[in-house]
Amino acid sequence: MSVDVCEAPHCQLVCENSSFLDEENSLVSLVQQLHFNYKVSLLIPDCSSAPSHLDSVINSFSSFVLIKNMPVSEFIDKDFLETAVYPGSVCALSYRTRIGEDNCVALMPNGRLRLSLDRHSYHLLGIEGKVSKFRSKGRHIVSVDLTDSSMAPGGRGYDRLLSGLTCRLPLTSDFLLSHQQGVQSCLKSLLSRYDWSELRPEVSTKVLHQLTCPSDLGSCDAYSVMDWLGAVDAGISSSIGSSSSFLSTYTCPGPQRMATTALSISVSGFLLPHHVQILIMEVRQFLEQSSSPWASLTVHGFTDNVVSCCENEHGRLRGGVNFYTLLMSKGHDYKLLIVTGSHDSCSP
Amino acid sequence: TGSLLQAKVPRDLVKVLSVESQSSTKAKASTERFLKNSLRHHSRYDLSDMLCHKAVVLNYTRPKKDKLKEHKKVKGLNARQKRAMKIFQIKQKHQSYEVFLPLHELWRQYIIDLCGGLKPTSNLQFVQQKFLKADFHGAIITVISSTCPSYVGTTGIVVQEFKHVFKLITKENKFKVIPKRNCVFSVEINGFVSHINGCMFEQRASERATKKFKVRRAIDL
Repeated sequence: MSVDVCEAPHCQLVCENSSFLDEENSLVSLVQQLHFNYKVSLLIPDCSSAPSHLDSVINSFSSFVLIKNMPVSEFIDKDFLETAVYPGSVCALSYRTRIGEDNCVALMPNGRLRLSLDRHSYHLLGIEGKVSKFRSKGRHIVSVDLTDSSMAPGGRGYDRLLSGLTCRLPLTSDFLLSHQQGVQSCLKSLLSRYDWSELRPEVSTKVLHQLTCPSDLGSCDAYSVMDWLGAVDAGISSSIGSSSSFLSTYTCPGPQRMATTALSISVSGFLLPHHVQILIMEVRQFLEQSSSPWASLTVHGFTDNVVSCCENEHGRLRGGVNFYTLLMSKGHDYKLLIVTGSHDSCSP
Repeated sequence: TGSLLQAKVPRDLVKVLSVESQSSTKAKASTERFLKNSLRHHSRYDLSDMLCHKAVVLNYTRPKKDKLKEHKKVKGLNARQKRAMKIFQIKQKHQSYEVFLPLHELWRQYIIDLCGGLKPTSNLQFVQQKFLKADFHGAIITVISSTCPSYVGTTGIVVQEFKHVFKLITKENKFKVIPKRNCVFSVEINGFVSHINGCMFEQRASERATKKFKVRRAIDL
C-alpha cells in the first residue's frame, strides 16, 4: 500500500494555442501520428440535437474487423504484403493484450510492424530489438520496417523474420484490422481463413440539461478545463457548482454561465486519423453556423497500444492516459491540450 | 738451533735447582716425546697410514639410484605449444558438413548405447543423468533461446566443446562459435528432445564426466 502512495503516476499536459489558418500548426501532424484511436468525444454547449450531417458522416466511416486467433506471420504473407502493406492502406492492432503483461503487436499504415515482447518471447524470437525505455528488464520492442528492401520476400531479413514468427515464436492474437478501401473487399483471402466479425463505430449521444460551463475557455487554466471536461464526460457535472454539497466542493472553473442544453457525443471503435480529421472539419463547420461559443473534441488512444504519437513507445504503469483535446472556439482559433501518462513520450 | 734446545744446565745452577741434566741421547728421546705429546695428530696426515697400500674393489659396487628420473613426469604441451602446432585448426578441405556426418552417426550410436537404447518407455530421469555426463562431440545442437538474438536458430554438429563455448559446423559449411552462457540448446535424438541450459554447462567435457552437478534452481536468461 505504502509503495503505491509514494510512486503516484504523473502525467504531462502540453498546451498549445494556435489557429486553423496557420499553415504550420501542429494539429494536422499530431492527428496523423496517432494511428490508433479508440474514442472521440464531443461536447457542444447550447446545442440540443446532433447535427444531421454529423450522423451521416459518422455512418460513412468504414467498418473494421475483429479477427480471432490470427498468427502474426500472416502480416508477412506475400499476398498480404502486396495487397495491403505496400500500398499503405492497412493498420492492425492486437486486441485485449495488456501492454505490461502480454505480447502486443501493432501494424502501422506506413508498413512498420512493432512487437512489444516479454523477455522469454524475445529470447525465443531471435530478431534484433531494443530494450523498453520504461521497463528495462522485462520488455523488449522489436520494430521491423516491412517496406524496407531488406525485408522483401526471399531476402535474408525476411526469411529470418518468417522463420522466427512461424517456427521459433508462433505468436497468435486477436486483431482489430482496418483497411482504407474496406476490409471485406480487399482482404478476402485473409478473412476466409480465420474467424472474424465486422464491427462499426458505436455512437452514443447524450443531451445534458442545466450545465454550468465556463463562458470563456481561453481564460481558464488548462488543468481546470481538463478536470471539468472529465467531470462532464463521467456524468458528475450535476453535482458541480453547489459548494455546499457534502461530497465535493469542486466548482466549474472561471467565469461561469448556465447552458440550458449541451450535447455530448462519443464515437468509439477503431478510428483512423482521417476519421478524426473529418470529425474536426464537421465540428468546425457546425460551430460557424450555430450559436455555441465553443466546442471540445477529445481523441482517446488505446491504453494498451504499443505506440504513442510519433511512433514513440507507449507504456502503461497505472496510468496509460494517451489522449488529446481540441478546444475550438468561434473563429479559427483553437487550444490543443495533449495529455500523456508517465510511460509515454510526447511529441514536441 | 738443536744446540740451543738441548743445552746443558750450567754447573753452578745444578746445586741450586737440584736438577741434573740428562745425557744427550736421553735428552733427545725426551724432547721427541714432549713434542709428540704436545703436537696435535691428524689422522689424515698420518704419514704411516698414507704410505701403506690400500686395495680398491672395482666390481660389486652398489648401483646409485637415479633420483632425477623418478621426479620427471611426462608433461603435456602447454597452450602456447598447442597453438603453435595448430592442432585445433581444421584444414580447409575438412571444413565441410558432410565430413562430420559420420561423426554424428557415431555419436548417435554412442548415446543410444549409453542410455541403454532410447525407447519411448525409457525412464526420463535415467536418460537425463546420462546426458549430463555424456560427451557432445558430434551431436547436432540448436540454439533455441538466447539473450543475443543473432545466435537463435543456429544449428550444427558440435566439432569442439570447450569450457565456455561450443564450436559448431553448420550446413552452410561455416564454423560458428556459440558461447554457452545465456543460451539454451536443444539436442534431439530418436524423438527425445532435451533442452540444455548453457549457463549450467560451463565446464570442459572431461570435467563434466567426472564432477557432480549441483542442484540449482532454474534461472531465467
